[in-house]
Amino acid sequence: MVHRTVRVALLAALLAVVAGCGIPRDPESTLDRVRGGTLRAGITASEPWTTLEGGRPGGVEVELVERFATELGARVEWVDGSEADLIGALEMRELDLVVGGLTADTPWQAKAAITRSYATTRVVVAVPSSQPVPDDIAGLRVAVESGTDAAGILEDKTDAIAVRVPDVTQVKGSAVAIEEWLLADLSLRDTGVHLSKSKHVMATPMGENAFLVRLERFLIAHQGEVPALLDAAEAS
Amino acid sequence: MTHHELPPDKHELLKKAVRLEWLTIAYLLSAVVLLYFALGSSQAMKAAWAEDILSLLPPIAFLIASRVRRKQPNSKFPYGYHRVTSIAFLCASAALLALGSFVLYDSVMKLVKFEHPPIDLVKPFGDSPIWLGWLMLPALAWSALPAVFLGRAKQPLAKELHDKVLFADAEMNRADWLTAGAAMFGVVGIGFGLWWADGVAATIISLDITHDGYKNLKVAVADLMDKEPTIVDHSRPDPLPLWVRNELMLMDWVKDAEVRLREEGHVFVGEAFVVPVDNDDLVGRIARANEHLLDLDWRLHELVIAAVPEIRRPEPAGEEG
Repeated sequence: MVHRTVRVALLAALLAVVAGCGIPRDPESTLDRVRGGTLRAGITASEPWTTLEGGRPGGVEVELVERFATELGARVEWVDGSEADLIGALEMRELDLVVGGLTADTPWQAKAAITRSYATTRVVVAVPSSQPVPDDIAGLRVAVESGTDAAGILEDKTDAIAVRVPDVTQVKGSAVAIEEWLLADLSLRDTGVHLSKSKHVMATPMGENAFLVRLERFLIAHQGEVPALLDAAEAS
Repeated sequence: MTHHELPPDKHELLKKAVRLEWLTIAYLLSAVVLLYFALGSSQAMKAAWAEDILSLLPPIAFLIASRVRRKQPNSKFPYGYHRVTSIAFLCASAALLALGSFVLYDSVMKLVKFEHPPIDLVKPFGDSPIWLGWLMLPALAWSALPAVFLGRAKQPLAKELHDKVLFADAEMNRADWLTAGAAMFGVVGIGFGLWWADGVAATIISLDITHDGYKNLKVAVADLMDKEPTIVDHSRPDPLPLWVRNELMLMDWVKDAEVRLREEGHVFVGEAFVVPVDNDDLVGRIARANEHLLDLDWRLHELVIAAVPEIRRPEPAGEEG
């Protein structure tokens, strides 16, 4: 009797797999509504991922969202606000998507469905390419952007001497703690000391799984373009 | 090492039970790891996972108890170590009840708050992304099918060995298809956009855990309270006290007799009160009676026969338990 129950359950599961196209579905039909319509996206500025220069949305994530909307035949309606406001609106399904340099360790996990990360960035300690890579950064004076977690990590977790500066891209000829993707542009070389890692994500409404999975498929297909988008964002 | 509790023909059964319990632990660990990787944000998956972790407790309790209880009585523990089984069982059931209630509360709250569970893509096999929900189904199947067979293999052993922990464990394993079935319903429900299916499935699973905990706790407490012995599935009183009393009444020197036995783990110990017709050779009669009675059943481990002038019988209990 027990066998039969299990077998029926397995068969049901199998049938579900066979009928699997169109699965998962959205409880509140977000994907269907957005397709050919409007994608309501929330944005909060976080360079270079999102920018709001002169009130105009720009940056890597804005570019990705615009392309995603194009794929769905939708136009994007941007709303800017604080992360808390935007996530609140997302929770009530007044927005379909929120971007703003969110990372996988975001504290909004309980209020929003977070996508897989589509890009990973690191803050590394680098030296100018003209200089030899030191064996050890102990005692080395390293420039680090003030008011960042990297500054704290450099101070507390390494033996280097942290020198806080307003803009690390303006340091020439010394060791700096800097985003790994900037190394080539600034002719810097990685010392192998990595201070922090950020996995970049976007937020969607809770449980709208068809929409979430569609967005993730798009991000997986386009994650290779992120470095180029980052360079473009830096150049502008 | 010889086992002073069990007759020789039961030793093999105990060895087999111990082997099955080790196998159960190894299997459950594999299911726990597999489910962990497929958890996602599904509450039903979390509940099924919690149940698999909790299912580890009865086999662990059984294995610990089966080691400790074969120790001989000594001056510090003159009654021996039989009770260790009941204590292990009590701890396992209390944990089951407490954690089951917690998961139940969590699941109901998710339903009350209309929480829509998000389940996204994973890339387990190289580059092709797949919806995590599809991976949950085989993981759940693995958490149920072998368990059902293990449970069926352990149940007859539990009856032969008169082991309530083993019996409760076998029952839990046998019921695992309910957990997996409910969780599958939840996952497939999410797939079809029914956000509530997950919470409902999780509630069913946690109710099952809580019910197991409550049922077993009741049995464990009753055992430690020296409740009248029952057969291993607790469905009716064990006839052994009656057999002992009948044997005593059949002896020609006995005018009246009353027997009270209690379960200590899987063996019975207790007292028999007899009113002799006269005082001739009382010591010899009691010694011979004791020897005869201990041969009745292997589970009757120790019996103290006391000669008394008259017997005071306990009040019949009400229906409460």
